[in-house]
Amino acid sequence: MSALAYEASAPTLRTAARTYPRRKRRVRGSSIAIVVFLTMCAAFMSIPLYVVIVTSFKTMDQIAIGEIFSLPTSWTLEPWWKAWAEVCAGMTCEGVRHGFLISLEILFPSLVLSIALSSVTGYALALWNVRWANSFLFVLFLCAFVPFQIIMIPLVVLVANLGLFGTIWAIALIHAVLAMPLLTLIFRNFYKDVPQEIINAAIMDSGSFWKIFVEIILPMSGNIMIVVLILMITSVWNDFLVGLTFGGIGTQPMTVILANTVITQRGEVHYNVDMAAALLTAIPPLVVYFGLGKFFVQGITAGAIKG
Amino acid sequence: MALRWSRVSPQLALVPALTVTLVAFFGSIGWTIWMSFTRSRRFPEYEIDPALWWRQYERLFADGAWTTSLKNLIVLALGSALAIVLGFILAALVEREKRGEGFFRTIFLYPLAVSLIVTGIVWRWMFNPALGVENFLHELGWTSANFNWLADPGTAMYGIILASIWHGLGFYMALMLAGLKSINTEIWSAAKLDGVSFPRLYVEIIIPMLKFTFLTCAILLSLGVIKSYDIVLAMTNGGPGTSTWTPAYFTINAYSTRSNIGYASAAAVIMLVITAAVFLPLVLVTAWQARRREAVVQ
Repeated sequence: MSALAYEASAPTLRTAARTYPRRKRRVRGSSIAIVVFLTMCAAFMSIPLYVVIVTSFKTMDQIAIGEIFSLPTSWTLEPWWKAWAEVCAGMTCEGVRHGFLISLEILFPSLVLSIALSSVTGYALALWNVRWANSFLFVLFLCAFVPFQIIMIPLVVLVANLGLFGTIWAIALIHAVLAMPLLTLIFRNFYKDVPQEIINAAIMDSGSFWKIFVEIILPMSGNIMIVVLILMITSVWNDFLVGLTFGGIGTQPMTVILANTVITQRGEVHYNVDMAAALLTAIPPLVVYFGLGKFFVQGITAGAIKG
Repeated sequence: MALRWSRVSPQLALVPALTVTLVAFFGSIGWTIWMSFTRSRRFPEYEIDPALWWRQYERLFADGAWTTSLKNLIVLALGSALAIVLGFILAALVEREKRGEGFFRTIFLYPLAVSLIVTGIVWRWMFNPALGVENFLHELGWTSANFNWLADPGTAMYGIILASIWHGLGFYMALMLAGLKSINTEIWSAAKLDGVSFPRLYVEIIIPMLKFTFLTCAILLSLGVIKSYDIVLAMTNGGPGTSTWTPAYFTINAYSTRSNIGYASAAAVIMLVITAAVFLPLVLVTAWQARRREAVVQ
């Protein structure tokens, strides 16, 4: 039944390696039409990015003229500096800088917790004879579909009782919990293709559960680790709701700071500063995307359920 | 000794995951259902009044904002479904015209790397009536152009749909592209030999073959729609009035703004019911399709 999560990831992983023989083709009218149409769609997709970038470099005087698509007449870095260090979010006026650091601080424990938990679980379910493995996988598959809002309030109560509420650890813990079902399915589907003979031989060799994991399984998990890392980095960095509900004052991630800055601001609106702040928040995942595009595609298709 | 440990260790290793599943998922769902029958306000109360256990639900369905939320959920689902259709068309075109596949995929997919909060803020700026796209169209001479969708309760939802499509289009395209590539290339040549026209090829052969991919996309889309909170907050913050509330927005609003745990729990339970009602059939159909496909392969 975990077929869905697997099937979603399988085609991309498989076709990535396959190369197609390139047919010789003449340039025909229809193919020109297709390229033109695709280019128009690509232009539509790029417009928002273009608008944000040019707006963030304009002066407020130029923005007030109202030509949203025009290039800045005089390029200025001031909005970027203001967004980074001066803009007000609620009561504090220290820019999105603080949120950036908090997001980084949230990111690392989230990654470690979620990957440690899910990879070990996936490994145990895939390669060791656990009798209820299949039922548990089905349950995890169902859990991957539960919208966060449904379990949010009890988790707040629970985390508060643990004395963690408002700390970075609370946010990291919740990220690990929410990611666990999906990541476990991904790891399990990767590990289940490891030949059983290897494990049997390793057990004969008096290898223990943990020893086999550390010495045999982990070294061969490079690919899946990169895919999962990218999936988690983007989803944790882009998360808003977990940070909003579980973060206290001073531990709110960048997205929350950004939302507070832009959405609830009072008085004169500095669109250029808003756009610079939005770009600053978007840059880390965009760097991951443009830098590791191939793995990103695998990551999001594998993590399809997370959507 | 080694053998016995090898039997116990994997079970021990599963304890954390099992605990998480039982406490954070099952326990939490049960807790939420229980709370929805109580009169909890800011703090949870565990007592259920047997005569009035359904009162939160009664209040909920009498609440105009909740009815709006449910209506918006349907509008959003139908509107965002366009992303699947467009995603398929784009994937089919990219697949046919192999030139520039990597380039187009990169451009179509990048919005997915951007958070929904950023997406919402960006589109809100584009929708700005005085300085945004509307003003640009007016200056071009199209003075009757109306792009100020977010300010009008009747059209604000369409603004959110447009932004959601922009955000998700590349994702569905990538899934469809993966599906199209898994189709045996001989079908294309066979269809060509038989002189099947391209529209017919797609409608009668390719789309039925991609049923599984379409179902996967539908499941993922509905999951995204049910969870939609960030994008609403960033674009309209629920407004104008309550015209763009969604069930997810309603639930969080009931919890954080109204500090009413019982009420929020009741809304969350209905969300869970909707999720189950949409997913169980879809998941079962998908699983059935997958099994049938495996049977065909074997």
